[in-house]
Amino acid sequence: MTENEIKDKVVEILKPYVRNTDNLGSVSNSTHIITDLEVNSSRLVDVILAFEDEFDIEVSDEEADKVQTIGDAVAMIKAKI
Amino acid sequence: MAETKIALVTGASRGLGAAMAVALGKAGFKVGIHYNANSASAEKVAAQIENSFLVGADLSTLEGTDAIYDVLKKDHGGQIDVLVNNAGIALDNPLFKASPEEFEKTVNVNMRSAWYLTKRLSRFMIRQKSGRIINISSVVGSMGNPTQSIYGMTKAAIENFTKTAAIELAEYNILVNAVAPGFIQSDMTDHIPAEFQEKILSRIPLGRMGNAEEIAEVVVFLATAGTYMTGTTVAVNGGLYV
Repeated sequence: MTENEIKDKVVEILKPYVRNTDNLGSVSNSTHIITDLEVNSSRLVDVILAFEDEFDIEVSDEEADKVQTIGDAVAMIKAKI
Repeated sequence: MAETKIALVTGASRGLGAAMAVALGKAGFKVGIHYNANSASAEKVAAQIENSFLVGADLSTLEGTDAIYDVLKKDHGGQIDVLVNNAGIALDNPLFKASPEEFEKTVNVNMRSAWYLTKRLSRFMIRQKSGRIINISSVVGSMGNPTQSIYGMTKAAIENFTKTAAIELAEYNILVNAVAPGFIQSDMTDHIPAEFQEKILSRIPLGRMGNAEEIAEVVVFLATAGTYMTGTTVAVNGGLYV
């Protein structure tokens, strides 16, 4: 799976939780999940569980804490699949 | 979903925790019996339960708490249906004698382990979209008690934590409640001087201390029924404070 394919899936997973949908059109690796997309921090557990299901990976609490941007999510997932 | 539900009771090798583990076993749960150091005592509890497993861990450390997570993940597929945060210590000392070391140890075992275990294990429950978390508080969480400045503080904190965890986890069908035992005949109350025991009894409308089974039956209720209860603390104290 290419980085772009992973990124597309990550964005799809995030979509239901994004409150600032204007920024969805210009998502890049540096897009911050909480500050730019305004995903509520209490929804991150749902996002991480969705990553686990979609990519058949396990994400520890420590790894989840390090995911701040789209690029962080893509890099973490790429390293695991 | 697995047919046999799993309940884990921390501090289950003796006293109230042992009674809770046995009662949950009778209610049909596979019971995880957590103990700190006394494996022989934990094995005696296990012998009274049809389906159980032992977990040894020092809950005064984060590593110990992580060990419980690892056992549930590796040996039980990450299944946890009921978590009873019961483990607690009471290092009784008057305020002027109580030490910062006693404070740290009590806070770590009574408060941090409950918070951290809930934080970690609730992820299993979130995936299951179901679960019950039962925090064991104490009547001392809502009243002052000589020599228990640290213990009482941790129990008050547990009741507040119960409310916040209940709010955050409600959408995942995870119910979080607390049980606040009054004065219960146990290792912890056996050492109370007779004179002070009489004073306590005079304030309890039912006129006696409770027993461990009377606490355990409320824990079983919260683990199996009480479907519209979350964020509450159930006082089981013979009417003390009525």
